[in-house]
Amino acid sequence: MKQKIHLLLILLAFLNCSFTNSQLLKNLTSSYESFSAYYLDDTKTGDFNYNNRFRSNNYLNIKSNIAKNWNLELQIESYAPNALLNYSPNLKDTGISTFKFQYTNEKIDLTIGNFYQQFGSGMILRFWEDRNLGINNSIRGLNANYRINDQINITALYGAQKKGFKYSKGYVLGIDTEIDVSKIFKNNSTLILGLSYVGRNDNKTTGTTYKNTTNLYSARLDFSSSSYYSNIEIISKSKDPIMQFEKFSDNFVKKGSAFLFNTGFIKNGFGIDVTFRRLENMSIYSERDAFGNTFNESIINYLPALTKQHDYSLTNIYTYQSQPNVSFVDPELIKVGETGLQLDLYYFLKKKSYLGGKYGTNLSLNASLWNNIDGDFDFNNKNYKTNFFGSGEKYFSEISLEIRKKWSPKVDNIILFVNQFYNKKYIEEKFGEINSKILVIETTYKLNKNKSLKLDLQNMSTKDDTKNWLAVGLEYNLNSDLSLYVSDMYNYGNTIKERKIHYYNFGASYNKGINRYTINYGRQRGGLICYGGICRYVPESNGLSFGVITSFF
Amino acid sequence: MDINYFKSLIIILFFTQSVCSQTNIPSIYIKTINGKSINSKSTLNLDGLTVYSFWATWCIPCINELDAIHNEFEKWEEANIKLVAVSTDDSRTKRRVKPLINGKNWKFEIVLDENQKFKRALNISGVPHTIVVKESEIIYRKIGYKPGDESDLYDFLLKSSKKLIN
Repeated sequence: MKQKIHLLLILLAFLNCSFTNSQLLKNLTSSYESFSAYYLDDTKTGDFNYNNRFRSNNYLNIKSNIAKNWNLELQIESYAPNALLNYSPNLKDTGISTFKFQYTNEKIDLTIGNFYQQFGSGMILRFWEDRNLGINNSIRGLNANYRINDQINITALYGAQKKGFKYSKGYVLGIDTEIDVSKIFKNNSTLILGLSYVGRNDNKTTGTTYKNTTNLYSARLDFSSSSYYSNIEIISKSKDPIMQFEKFSDNFVKKGSAFLFNTGFIKNGFGIDVTFRRLENMSIYSERDAFGNTFNESIINYLPALTKQHDYSLTNIYTYQSQPNVSFVDPELIKVGETGLQLDLYYFLKKKSYLGGKYGTNLSLNASLWNNIDGDFDFNNKNYKTNFFGSGEKYFSEISLEIRKKWSPKVDNIILFVNQFYNKKYIEEKFGEINSKILVIETTYKLNKNKSLKLDLQNMSTKDDTKNWLAVGLEYNLNSDLSLYVSDMYNYGNTIKERKIHYYNFGASYNKGINRYTINYGRQRGGLICYGGICRYVPESNGLSFGVITSFF
Repeated sequence: MDINYFKSLIIILFFTQSVCSQTNIPSIYIKTINGKSINSKSTLNLDGLTVYSFWATWCIPCINELDAIHNEFEKWEEANIKLVAVSTDDSRTKRRVKPLINGKNWKFEIVLDENQKFKRALNISGVPHTIVVKESEIIYRKIGYKPGDESDLYDFLLKSSKKLIN
């Protein structure tokens, strides 16, 4: 490894000195991102019980357009002396994380090395990177894309999946075809048909009642016109053994399926969108024994929770996570997947109308309901039969109303009300159910051209779990570059005196062009940290953290 | 690999950045709001300025920025400045894009970058992120948005567009 890095350094220095006008250097771009923390002992949340108080995640990405149509990309990552708390143990030391060599022209896109990809909505296959969650599930192998004409596009890929600095033992093969049949319409409507196949081969976990290769097939149809849209996607997964208490058995082998239907209508400031989704035994990993790992490693498909993505700290305490799996924990806790729907309503009250006021008002309503799948479950013989329609125990429901209102050139408000039900027993396989109501009021006050103040006040009221919470946040933007903030979350309703903790944070961020620097000191609430419907557990901690984001272009 | 090598690599890049500060918009397939595949280069305003604003429906500062630009958009159009708002929403939130723009009445072009290929090709780590392109060359980038930034951006665009005319 060291030799490789020597070579790389020499190469870069060489390019810098000798080829200032070369194509390679002229088109060299890179970006660097770093998140570090120094963890401290805390009188309330406890001492820091891990090695290395200083921990740091660093990402350096270098891209170059080496010749017409030819691209090179390299990503080096460093987790030294350790990665931040609760990142995968596979992320350690420094090394080359991804590497790719790509040829593209108008028709062909050929990549050798690491690549990201998505088929359809991602329910059958999605490879992507999310540094906040420690996800980089790119494939190392071959990705070929061929655009036959404006209507037909074919993608094929094969390779092993990245897992920290290592690679999965299983292999993934994927083929996707997208056919645009919009020509049948005389207006601007579009109709796109998609067909995919994904095969996962894992020779490590073998059995007599299932094959080494698991096959997934999907079909999708996407229609869109100026005011109406609708899409449908169906997936079928072949027999795959089900992991129970970290073991596979030849006697508990089941097929999986997914069904997604989304439709919406928009007109003159009004919009409605409805999504129905049913997932049964649908998660798929590039190696079977990665099932249910808490680091989101080796995931082949993307099955996010379809609920409103919240921005405020109290609205993210009880965050729903999708339940695509089969789990027979005890006769009173059996899951085989999820079924449910989400509804969004948007309405814009026009400017200068009675309710809209001088600047207009935005209203949005979101409602979601997620349940277990209905069926007959035989706990002792580890077997089940499901029904497509109908539903089982309620996992989660939420209704939220958001009002965004500008009162004057200086003042605007966001008011959010959330009514939530969270079934902790089913979602986290723990104990209890939580009914809560949350109110958020955010006010922004513009002091002058670049100076502004933002204040958010949040309250959660619940009789369940750790009871009531209060949160306050104040942000002061001194100018277009510098901003200071202070925030606190307080579990004032907690019946255990020692757990009435203030999770305070204060810090600053400085942006200048493409550079961003952040510093924060405070106490981190333990629990789920979620981005885009995927969550990661983090322990409670206290410390000083720094962030740097920059690009060289 | 030793951490020192990593550091030296970053330092080398710091020093080379001044030499390699010319970049064109990469050629990437993105989608129109109706799901049709188009090449990112086809969204360029070839005889003027193009502003790419990377955003997402869940990103409040992004929406505040686009709302602020929307309020002054006539001025932008008069100066032959094109705005392309690149939604980086993935399949979880993508379906909110259409109703949201309809409610906002935004008149600029919206494209979808669902698995963030375009965003990644431009080394963008988070949203909001603004890129200004003159003909096909990137001349300005900015991370983040704070109230008032839109007028600074407009002043910069006006200056650059005057240079373009002269």
